[in-house]
Amino acid sequence: MVNVDKLTKEFGKSKAVDSISFEIKKGEVFGLLGENGAGKTTTLRMLATMLKPTSGAAYINGININKDPQAARFCIGILFGGETGLYDRLTVYENISYFGELNDMDKNTIKRRIEELAKAFEMEGYINKKASKLSKGMKQKVAFARAIAHDPEVMFFDEPTSGLDVSAARNVHDFILECKKKGKTILFSSHTMSEVEKLCDRVGVIHKGKLIDIGSIAEFKRKYDNESFEEIFIRLVGGKYEV
Amino acid sequence: MKFKHIWTVFKKEVKDISRDKRTLLISIVVPMVIIPLLNSFVGGGMEKLQKDINENVTVALSDKSNAPDIKNLVLNDIIADNKSIRLIDTPNASEALKQDKVRLILDIDKDFKSKIDSGKPFDISISYDKSRTKSEGSIWIVNDAISKFNKKILKERMNQLGKSEEFLEPARTKEINVADETKTSTSMLAMFLPIIIVILMTVGGVPAATDLMAGEKERNTLEPLLTTKPGRVSILLGKYFTVTLFSFITVIASVVGLIIGYILKPSSLNMGTGQHLTGFFIPLPALLISILLAIALGMTFAGIQVALSTYARSFKEAQVYLSFLMIAAMVPAYANFFTQPSDIPMYYFFIPIINTISAFKIVLGGSINYFYLIIAFVSSAIHVMIALGAAVYMFSKEKVLFRS
Ligand SMILES: Nc1ncnc2c1ncn2[C@@H]1O[C@H](COP(=O)(O)OP(=O)(O)OP(=O)(O)O)[C@@H](O)[C@H]1O
Ligand SMILES: [Mg+2]
Repeated sequence: MVNVDKLTKEFGKSKAVDSISFEIKKGEVFGLLGENGAGKTTTLRMLATMLKPTSGAAYINGININKDPQAARFCIGILFGGETGLYDRLTVYENISYFGELNDMDKNTIKRRIEELAKAFEMEGYINKKASKLSKGMKQKVAFARAIAHDPEVMFFDEPTSGLDVSAARNVHDFILECKKKGKTILFSSHTMSEVEKLCDRVGVIHKGKLIDIGSIAEFKRKYDNESFEEIFIRLVGGKYEV
Repeated sequence: MKFKHIWTVFKKEVKDISRDKRTLLISIVVPMVIIPLLNSFVGGGMEKLQKDINENVTVALSDKSNAPDIKNLVLNDIIADNKSIRLIDTPNASEALKQDKVRLILDIDKDFKSKIDSGKPFDISISYDKSRTKSEGSIWIVNDAISKFNKKILKERMNQLGKSEEFLEPARTKEINVADETKTSTSMLAMFLPIIIVILMTVGGVPAATDLMAGEKERNTLEPLLTTKPGRVSILLGKYFTVTLFSFITVIASVVGLIIGYILKPSSLNMGTGQHLTGFFIPLPALLISILLAIALGMTFAGIQVALSTYARSFKEAQVYLSFLMIAAMVPAYANFFTQPSDIPMYYFFIPIINTISAFKIVLGGSINYFYLIIAFVSSAIHVMIALGAAVYMFSKEKVLFRS
């Protein structure tokens, strides 16, 4: 469960995120849809406690991210950007177990968990290979496994398909749906309508740091009386591209 | 901040870095092999050059003065007693000098005989080639031979006047070295060793520092790392201690290199000075303080390196910053290269880098002053804190960590 309350981030004079509020229920996939520079990454970074909010608050599983960032972090797993970001000189096992250790899991639990993940992601063949020796697809699986190694209840995905080819993007989608199936609460940012439409239960449209509207895809379509979500989005963000 | 988290980060970073062949090469193999090689190469080369300069002085007579009586004068009167000077017979002296066949050309007054007899001076001009070390370096040897010749003539003249030679020497000077044997022989070591250690310390941590911070940013591993449970300071400290460790490994590797060099060729430690290192003794407290100072310096560098590498936008940028740091560290290292241990002023012991070098100098040079050593230690501890503070500051600055 995630609760965002008037979260604001200023960089100097400019407001990257301007007093946004929303709520994500347990097991729900919430999409943050916005153009380049809308403030998606900044929002997710604040929620992941990488950036300190200028004002406002957010609660992850009831934990105030401003008051106890460490406990909040323990509840989250992230997948930011299309790049997988593994340590090339470490093996797959070492990559995952490092994050497990950092999240205070003990050696035995880590071992069991990695065995489980290796099976689930079919990584058994290369679990002891260095990350540098893996193909892109294999690396992607390792990054998924690492993100959920400590079994977080909340997952943040920041444009996880940017720069990926169709099948790799498809893998990400499947992974998100898998997380949803396990009952995880998911926040997912994107500027691609189709994937938002495909995956999200509810969507928030963010523009110039402000959350302009929230609702399910169906609600959007009904409210704006339009079958094309893309057209709705363009109308919402100013309609520069309208024909 | 939790010790367990620091330890986890440290363990992983050490493992990660030590799998990088480039780092191992720079931090361990290079200092271990290059230092003794360099020493024996430069040292051996300098010894050989010096010997060659002193022993094989070849001279020719200028074409103008290439006459039998002048040859006779040179051979029998000027260089007769000096085995290292040889007169080479050549029809074209300036060509011979150009081609390095002779080092010097002597042009001697044709009327030397009558001038000597009438008590007038005659001219000897010595031509040399300034672009050749050996040519210029040989002048004094010939000058020496000529002044011996002058003395001989003077003696004859004084004898004719019925006076003793001493008449021409109202005062006599004599130089006495009061430093004891060990002190002089270690002072060369006192000049070189501190600088070598300081430079290696700046070099040793570089691959680790660039990789751990800038590299982590560039590979997109920083964001997932920052969303794990440990606080920023724990992550930073784990990285910081890794950099410190690698600075030390480099210093230890090079000391091992020095020792190997010494075992293979004892004269390699003299670095061509021709002095021989006799045993010297460092009192235990001074040794301990020196080691602590070395550690403190390594930690200071590690702090600055981590801070710079965090600040850098990219791996490349980090490398540039850290190279600048290396140069910046070398300046004070060389600046007081020639300062003798006993001449070091007190304020040197407050300045970063210089304080450690000065302390090493007084310890190795055998003029230990504990008050100065303690000043150096306290100021070093403060520098460590400042550098670490800078690293923590950088690592907590959002603008620096997330520049995208
Ligand atoms: N560290 C920073 N310092 C200063 N300004 C920043 C910083 N990070 C982001 N910004 C600014 O904040 C605004 C929002 O950026 P953000 O990265 O959150 O957008 P985004 O929606 O993720 O866009 P994109 O689709 O390009 O990733 C932008 O105008 C950006 O320039
Ligand atoms: Mg973004």
